[in-house]
Amino acid sequence: MEAYRQEIIIGAVLIYFVFCVLTGIWAMRRTHSSSDFFVAGRGLGPIVVSLALFSSTLSGFGFVGGPGLVYSTGVSSFWMIVISSTGYALGFFLVAKRIRMMASLRNCISLPDIAAARYGSESVRFLLAVTIVLGVMGYLATQILAMALVMQAILTGTEMFANIGLVSCVIISSAVLIFYCVTGGIIASVYTDVVQGALMMIAGVLILFAAISVFDGGMQEATAIILADDAEAIMPYGTMGIMASLGWFFVFGLGLAGQPHLVTKMMMNKNIADNRTILPMSLLGYVLAALLWVSIGVVMRAAVIAGVSEPLALPDDAAAVFLAAFANPILAGIVFAGLFAAIMSTADAFLNIGAAAIIHDIPKAVRGKSLENELFWARIVTVLMAVVAAGFALYSHYQDATLVALLGAFGWATFAAGIFPVIAIGLNWKGATAMGAIVAIVASLLINFIVQLAAIPIPYGISGGLLAFVASLVLFIGISLCTNDRKLDKDIDALMNI
Amino acid sequence: MQNRVIIGIFTICCAMAALLLAIILAEPVAGSGGMPHPTIPGMMNGGDGAARLAEIGWFAFLFQCLLLLLIVALAALGVAQQHHGLKLYTLLFLSYLFTLFIWWQMYFGHLHFLETGETGYFLGFPVATAWQMYGTWIGAIPLVLIYVLGFKTFIHSDEDEQVYQALLKQYGAK
Repeated sequence: MEAYRQEIIIGAVLIYFVFCVLTGIWAMRRTHSSSDFFVAGRGLGPIVVSLALFSSTLSGFGFVGGPGLVYSTGVSSFWMIVISSTGYALGFFLVAKRIRMMASLRNCISLPDIAAARYGSESVRFLLAVTIVLGVMGYLATQILAMALVMQAILTGTEMFANIGLVSCVIISSAVLIFYCVTGGIIASVYTDVVQGALMMIAGVLILFAAISVFDGGMQEATAIILADDAEAIMPYGTMGIMASLGWFFVFGLGLAGQPHLVTKMMMNKNIADNRTILPMSLLGYVLAALLWVSIGVVMRAAVIAGVSEPLALPDDAAAVFLAAFANPILAGIVFAGLFAAIMSTADAFLNIGAAAIIHDIPKAVRGKSLENELFWARIVTVLMAVVAAGFALYSHYQDATLVALLGAFGWATFAAGIFPVIAIGLNWKGATAMGAIVAIVASLLINFIVQLAAIPIPYGISGGLLAFVASLVLFIGISLCTNDRKLDKDIDALMNI
Repeated sequence: MQNRVIIGIFTICCAMAALLLAIILAEPVAGSGGMPHPTIPGMMNGGDGAARLAEIGWFAFLFQCLLLLLIVALAALGVAQQHHGLKLYTLLFLSYLFTLFIWWQMYFGHLHFLETGETGYFLGFPVATAWQMYGTWIGAIPLVLIYVLGFKTFIHSDEDEQVYQALLKQYGAK
C-alpha cells in the first residue's frame, strides 16, 4: 500500500472534487432566488446547520496553519481552540435566537440587512458591508493560496505532474471552487459541509491515534521532550507569553459571535428550537476535528527536537510532513480530502457573504435598493471575487506577501472587533445606537489597520486585534449610553422583548 | 435589569482597558513575546517564564478574571428580561466560579512549576497545561448546559414562541 501512497491521496482528493461538482449541480436545481442562494431559504435541519457551523469555523488555517503554529509557538495557539466551547456558547446566547427571528421578520438575507433593520441606519449597513468585503478578500486569498500549495505538494509527488506550477494549481482549485459556489450558492456549501464535517471529525480522531503512536511513551513522552528543551513552550501560555494567549482567548472566544460567515448560518435553520441541539452538536464536532491541530503540532515539535524528523522548511509544513512520515496512506488520503473540504467550504462561505455585501448591501445603502435580478449578479460577482482573490494570492506569493497579510489582518480580529458589539450586543440591548455602532466599526478598522500597516510593536505579545476589540466594546457601549437615538421600529422593539 | 447588566459589562470592559494600558506601560522584559529557538529555524522559545511574569503577572491574572466575568455577564445579556431571576443568576454565578477555579489551578500550577521545576502529568500534558487544555474546554460546559437544558426556561419558552408567531402574523415578512 505504501508504494501507492500518492495515488491513494490523489484518488481521495479527486473523489472529493467530483462530489463537490455533483453537489453544485444538485444544489443549482434547488436555488431559485437570492434567498436560496444566500441563506438556503432558512429551511435547514439541525444536523446540517451544526456541521456547517463547525466546519466553517475550522478552515484551511485549522488544518495547515494550526499544527504549524503549535510547532512554531508551542501551547500558545491552543488558546485559539480551547475557547471554542465559550465561543459557541456565547454565540448562541447572544445571537442565534434573535438573528433567526429578525431574519424572518424582515426577510433579511445578510448580516448588514440585520444591522440595518436593528439600527434603522443605512450607514451602519454600508460600513458593515465594507468591513465584510475587506475581511473576505484577505481570507479568500489565503484560502486559495493554501489550496493551491497543498495541491502542488501532492501532484509534484507523481511522475506525470512532477513539474506542475503554482499558477496551474491556483487555476484548477479556483475552477472547482467557482463551479460549485456559482451553481449551488450556500445550499451547495452547507451540504458539502455535512461531508466535510464528517471527514474532519474522522480525521481528527484517527490522527490523534497516529500521533500518540509516534513515541513509545505516547503524548506524555512528546510533551516531556518539549519540556526538557524549553519548558515555557509546553506550559499554559506557550512561547508567546501570557498576554498573547489571553488575547487569543478574548478575540477568538468572544469574537466567534462576530464572524459573519458563522452567524449568517444561524439564520438558516428552520426552527428556533433547533438551536438547543445545534449548539452541542457543533461543539462536539469542533472538539473532535481540533484534535488534529493539537496532536500533529505537539508531535512534530517533539519529533524535530528529538531528531526523529528533520527541521521543517516552514512551520506550515507540519501537517504534510506528519502525514508523509507517520500516517497510513489511506488516513493521509482522508486527511488531504478533509483539508480540501475545509478550505473550499470556508472559501465558499466567504464568497457567499462577500457577494451579498457587494450586490445586495452596498447598493441598498448607497441608492436605497439592491440590484435587479440579484441571483444573476450574485453568481457574476462570485466569479469575479474568486478571480480577484486568486490574483491576490499569486501576487502575494511571488511579489509582495504583505498585501494578503494586510488584508488577512482584517480577518477574524476585525470581524470580531467590528461586528461583535454591533450584532451580538446590539441585538440584545435596546439602548445601542447607530452612532455607537458607526464609531465602533470605524475605530476597530483603524486600530487594526494602523497597528498592522505601521508594524507597531506592542509589549508582552499583545495583539492589535485585542486592543481593537476592547476599544470597540468600550466605544460602542459608552457612545450608545451618551447618544439619544431614534425610537426603535415597533416590530423590532417587540422582537427584542422576546 | 438590562441596563444594570450593560453598565456592568461597560465597567468590566473599562477595567480591562485600564489593565491593558498598565501592562503596556509596565517595564518591558526581553523576549516577553517569545524568541527564536537557538538551533531550530522556524521554532520559537519562551525562555525565562518567571521573568516574563514578574512585571505583569498579577495584571494578567486580574485581566483573565474580568474576562471570565464578562463572559457570564454577556450570557445574562443574551437572556430576555422576563427570564431573569435568582435561578438564572445563581447558575451563572456558579458557572463563573467554575471557570475561575480552572483559571486559578492553571495560573498557580504554572507558578508552582516555575518555583520548583517539577510537574506531574495528566492525560499527556504537564498538569498546569492540562488545566488549560482540558479545563478551559470544560469550563464553558455549564454555560452550554444552561442553554441546552434550560432552553425552554431561559432562552425560548412556549410563550415566547407564541408571541413571536403573533408578531410574524401582525407584521409579516417585510
